[in-house]
Amino acid sequence: MSFGRPPSINVGFKTSPPDRGSFPLDHDGECKEQMMQYMACLRKNSSESTPCRVMSKQYLDCRMTKGLMERDEWRNLGLANLEGDSAEPTRTSS
Amino acid sequence: MSFKLCVPLLKAGRASQSTTHHYLDAFFRCRSLSRSLHTVNTHFLTHLGKSPCSWSTSRSILWRKMATNSHPRTPLNAKSRPPYASRQSLYAARNRNLLMYSSAVIVFAVGVTYAAVPLYRMFCAATGFAGTPNVGTGRFEPGRLVPVDGARRIKVHFNADRAEALPWAFTPQQKFVTVLPGETSLAFYKAKNESKNDIIGIATYNVTPDRIAPYFSKVECFCFEEQKLLAGEEVDMPLLFFIDKDILDDPACRGIDDVVLSYTFFKARRNAQGHLEPDASDKDVQNSLGFGDYEMAPRAEIRNAQPGKSS
Repeated sequence: MSFGRPPSINVGFKTSPPDRGSFPLDHDGECKEQMMQYMACLRKNSSESTPCRVMSKQYLDCRMTKGLMERDEWRNLGLANLEGDSAEPTRTSS
Repeated sequence: MSFKLCVPLLKAGRASQSTTHHYLDAFFRCRSLSRSLHTVNTHFLTHLGKSPCSWSTSRSILWRKMATNSHPRTPLNAKSRPPYASRQSLYAARNRNLLMYSSAVIVFAVGVTYAAVPLYRMFCAATGFAGTPNVGTGRFEPGRLVPVDGARRIKVHFNADRAEALPWAFTPQQKFVTVLPGETSLAFYKAKNESKNDIIGIATYNVTPDRIAPYFSKVECFCFEEQKLLAGEEVDMPLLFFIDKDILDDPACRGIDDVVLSYTFFKARRNAQGHLEPDASDKDVQNSLGFGDYEMAPRAEIRNAQPGKSS
């Protein structure tokens, strides 16, 4: 049982690593504002995720802009066709 | 009494002998009959268009042929093939046959060898055998990342732990989030390096209850990779996850309303192979992965480090 080894025949038994790996650390707090907005929205809506998805989209958008995340289409992240979505210009995936 | 029993047995033995003879006899009679029928057929076909008188003469020829055919002129162990001019031609035909069969087998084997490569790849991709990564399994396809409206909400609680050797303050920023199956949600953890040195940490996670583990998928997080925090630095660590909507079809997960997602941060060190791993005992790491109750075999390095001990 070694740490971080690739999945094997018992892969269903073990915890699996994330699809896109790890978020790069936001050392400079560049997206802290969006994060605070998201947290405020969560507190307001009794920690329900659905109303705050627009905020999470904004946060991830900030990360993509600042180079802290690979730019990708929203549908690959499950954040396409959200209600209350402002008409943001959808950027093409890199 | 015993003699009377023996007699029918002896009779049966003799009868069995005669039956084999009888079968062989019948076989050859059938063969000769089929041969005569064959000649009749050919005669009919060849003389179909001819005049009646020629047909009658051919019929007499036919009867004569049949008379000769009824007597089995072939020995007991002959082949039901056309007679060969010589033994050599028989062997030649047999060798040709054998050559055809063996070359067919060789060609088939070579074909299977070529086909084995893509087949093995498909098998590995399907079962994840021998360490094949499960990419492209459709787990993170855009179609799966659509929330199921109207389904019951699942409350995901967040828990944060750290090893004692790690002088960090590691806490979740929200106590829980209620999510729909299939809905990607964002969550945050906060980590602060309270020491005076830059420290590299590495996180593991686990989900309880165990039944939900196959359905709990993380799109992106901060686990399993090194995270370097400078001295005194505080960062927000996001995590994008979702619960697969197949959980609604699983009867074992019907009663699940609460899920606990627990992260544990360890100090990282480089092992003998140069890979980063948690700087803690195996027991602690496995505990943080949720396998604390399971008995683990000792690692190969530990096993081999004790010479003279049988494995």
